[in-house]
Amino acid sequence: MATIQQPAAHTVRRGVQPLRAGEGNSYVWHKLHSLLGIIPIGAFLIEHLISNFQALGGPVAYGKTVEFLNSLPMVHVLEWVFIFIPILYHGIYGLYIWLRGKSNVVYYPWSGNWLYLTQRYTGIIAFAFIIQHVIMERFMGVSLHDHPGAAFYKMQQTLANPWMVAIYVIGMLAACWHFSYGVWLFAAKWGITPGTRSRRRFGFVCVAGGVLLAVLGLGSIWAFVGPKYANAPQNVPISYLNAPAHTGAPV
Amino acid sequence: MADKTVQLEIKRQASPEAPEMWEKFELAWRPGMNVISAMMEIAANPVTAEGHQTTPIAYDSNCLEEICGSCAMRINGRARMACSSLVENLEQPIRVEPLSKFPLVRDLQVDRSVLFENLKAVKAWVPVDGTYDLGSGPRVFPQQQEANYPLSNCISCTCCMEVCPQFNPATGFVGAATIAQVKLFNNHPTGKVFKEERLRALAGDGGIQECGYAQNCVEACPKQIPLTNAISDIGRDVMVQKVKDWLRG
Repeated sequence: MATIQQPAAHTVRRGVQPLRAGEGNSYVWHKLHSLLGIIPIGAFLIEHLISNFQALGGPVAYGKTVEFLNSLPMVHVLEWVFIFIPILYHGIYGLYIWLRGKSNVVYYPWSGNWLYLTQRYTGIIAFAFIIQHVIMERFMGVSLHDHPGAAFYKMQQTLANPWMVAIYVIGMLAACWHFSYGVWLFAAKWGITPGTRSRRRFGFVCVAGGVLLAVLGLGSIWAFVGPKYANAPQNVPISYLNAPAHTGAPV
Repeated sequence: MADKTVQLEIKRQASPEAPEMWEKFELAWRPGMNVISAMMEIAANPVTAEGHQTTPIAYDSNCLEEICGSCAMRINGRARMACSSLVENLEQPIRVEPLSKFPLVRDLQVDRSVLFENLKAVKAWVPVDGTYDLGSGPRVFPQQQEANYPLSNCISCTCCMEVCPQFNPATGFVGAATIAQVKLFNNHPTGKVFKEERLRALAGDGGIQECGYAQNCVEACPKQIPLTNAISDIGRDVMVQKVKDWLRG
């Protein structure tokens, strides 16, 4: 029959292999990825957004926050062990997870399926933004470890470019989204919210938390971009940062 | 009066190696028609809409009342049971394709033995075989029966696996059905003799950790099995088991 003779793609479908019961270590690597997203990465995100919110208090208040964080014992060890290495692992392993999934929202446009896809896109956006952010603000330009008072001016210079403001807003919102839904996923997959209603209720908690974090982030970006501190000093002297809060006169 | 008709487009493939092709059919509409009954009519008169003689369509089906799990296929792109897919609820032309994630046998028939292998890998049964009468089993309280009953409704149709973004050759994910059966048999007072083994099995490669919680499984399940609840509960149990094993080891 003529219609059957059309040359078509030769597709012998292979199946999915069965469970390798009790074999391999992927369980540990997956769960490590999941846990690191909450602690320390999520915990750091909250700390970071709260610290940055101090920028609304101006260059002196912001400098004091940066100085305090730099005064933590073994601060360089802390940042590598609790921030850089966990974020690198979470980001790279997350990409590996993404590449092995096959999204099908085209056929199954359900909310959970959209969130599955969104979690992957917000993850890559946040990861790219964080890499850029760390290289530019932590490893390039004036060292804020040595000159905490220069923190406000440094960020202000970065955000003087409207493209950078857009990148910061998008990257920060992606991170907040990824973290809030990540907390929800963590509770669901680790058996903390095993009921349909408990997951629904916890969903509202995560939305509220995510919105709050996003407001903190947007507020701090506004502190650098807004007119209030347009003439911020390049560096606030250490003596100024250490002075007790008062009129603001130099000590 | 012009007679009402039903248009179907069915994806055909004579063997796993043969080329794919689509065939169109046009049937007289009847009340209460479903996709399986439409294919039965095609088998009785295998002629395409263009008038070409063709072969009857190969498909799996048995009970025709959504209880045997045989006739899962993709209808208008979505995995579902063909017997409970009423023609009057479907947009026409009705596009019928085999499940995409299982090796094809012929036309709409696929080999779903991976689910059987997975159920064996987690020992999804109650071990009561022996050489003498063991007497009656332990009592199961009605409350426990009610909790277990929805899980026991699984018909092994594999819809939950077909719609799962994580169920694919790259992950070799076990799928929601098997995880729900682990919960069912771990809840059973005799079945739970294998509880630890089942949980350890699910921590293997392709185990419960591969779940991305997209929740398609619970949306697609024709039996409304609380699959996401089972994944959550068993996720916690597997974690507790792994920590116990690690500390005791």
